[in-house]
Amino acid sequence: MMADRRRVNGPPSGTRPAVFTADLQLGASATDRAQRQRQPSELRKIFLKTGLIPTASGSSYLEFEPSASLAAARANPKSLIPPSSALKLACTVHGPKPLPRSAAFSPNIVLTTHVKYAPFAARQRKGHIRDSGERDLGVHLETALRGAIIAERWPKSGLDITVTILEAEDDRWWGSAPDSHDASWGMMNVLAGCITAASAAIADAHIDCLDLIAGGVAALVADESGNSAAGTTKLMLDTDPAEHRSILSACVVGYMPARDEITELWLKGDSSKASLEEGDDRSGHDALIDGAVDAARGAHTVLAEAVRESLLRIVGQS
Amino acid sequence: MTTSVPKLAIPGQRLGSISAYSAGPGTHVQQSNIYASIAGPVVVDPAISQTNKKSILRVSRIVAGIDPSKSNQASSAASKKKPRYNTLPAVDSIVLARVTRVQKRQVTVSILVVLDDTTPANPEANQAASDNDNIASILTTAANPENHSSTDELRFQALIRKEDVRAVEKDRVVMDEMFRVGDIIRGSVLSLGDQSFYYLTTARNDLGVVMARSEAGNMMFPVSWKEMRDPVTGAGEQRKVARPY
Repeated sequence: MMADRRRVNGPPSGTRPAVFTADLQLGASATDRAQRQRQPSELRKIFLKTGLIPTASGSSYLEFEPSASLAAARANPKSLIPPSSALKLACTVHGPKPLPRSAAFSPNIVLTTHVKYAPFAARQRKGHIRDSGERDLGVHLETALRGAIIAERWPKSGLDITVTILEAEDDRWWGSAPDSHDASWGMMNVLAGCITAASAAIADAHIDCLDLIAGGVAALVADESGNSAAGTTKLMLDTDPAEHRSILSACVVGYMPARDEITELWLKGDSSKASLEEGDDRSGHDALIDGAVDAARGAHTVLAEAVRESLLRIVGQS
Repeated sequence: MTTSVPKLAIPGQRLGSISAYSAGPGTHVQQSNIYASIAGPVVVDPAISQTNKKSILRVSRIVAGIDPSKSNQASSAASKKKPRYNTLPAVDSIVLARVTRVQKRQVTVSILVVLDDTTPANPEANQAASDNDNIASILTTAANPENHSSTDELRFQALIRKEDVRAVEKDRVVMDEMFRVGDIIRGSVLSLGDQSFYYLTTARNDLGVVMARSEAGNMMFPVSWKEMRDPVTGAGEQRKVARPY
């Protein structure tokens, strides 16, 4: 990471009390580990509201319901470290505004997306300068939105979409040692949240788009219930990575329900070896994409309701 | 038509079939159906001409001031307007702009408000259609010389070339006697221009300087088509003045 010379920087990787594996094995039994309480096809509740930032032309705030383990840990605290985190993010849309003087003529709207984690958003502190993961999310978000916006209705203008992540999803349970299935699974949920929130903010800014685009996540996780044969996998919608021991593969889509179109698809992990439940003869990645689309449909109902609510609020004010 | 047109629409919501309506601003057509592309009240404009029998279905950008229970009412004034798909300056739209730079051959202005194509008989509707919230507040801040540079980058820039300032004696135009930095002008958009500038014209009686401060810093009033006067010092200054309404 590049050092930021304009600020007094803390230690680059943050400071956290050392937690030793021995302690975890002794003190933290399997029950302390966050466990999924929801059904495989049940999504977390979503809070979404638009128009919270008056200086922006459009804005939205999105929050996922915290996992049940957080409430349990608060009621009966054993450790200062919260067992799970839930996504919280704010999205602002600035524009349509003139392009910078150096930019070439464009008959379409020029979309710019920025995704930034707040320094305190993840367990590992983030720097002030965007790192590669944040830039990656920005590109994915731009791809998702570009397919939904009717760009030719806004010639010669630019649209800036900025997402600030206030609390990110964990990539795995904080106490687990890194293992072979490790990947930044939390990023997938963050992207889905970014897509849904950005869509609400764009609708709030009255930019023409084909449909409200919603993000959804599904994952194939190793079955932990123990009553089926080892090695079977389960398809879960809206997975919180902290609640699963091992995620084999995950998928995030940007999906427009009115047209049944996917504008953004991101698969991670290995879904080829996944064996689904009896009677389900879909291939692993077909099941994943179907699951992610289902999750996006769920998020879309919240999104549509939030946009309608803000519309009624404005109509009611006049 | 089995279903009626909804009163309020959100993007992606189906509004009707193109066999019954034609698509107006704020909507798009997908597989012979009209869908909303912005959130807002749905307005049905009755058919204008004899050749086109279909009513125009559009989603209004103006949410404030519209009662959703009455939004389907037809307004004859609205149907005469050219449909506008965005709030950006378009060819022939009337804009209010502030002069930021005066050169020998051209002046640079930054566009503050895009007014509607028709005569501004209803200023409330016009200001709501643009991105800017309030004409009065814009003009007061714009007339304040301390409020300049910070927001100019966020506004659309435009040029008025020397030959577009007035319709007569185009070759005798001296830019310094037409505009000064800080003046608020009313202009009409000639073209979308190049990558950075729109082109404006003030070659009409109703176009030109609408607000200006004298060298003493007082707001001036117009006395003729080419002169404005300071009410305090009584001194006159030359401007290309817009005809007051």
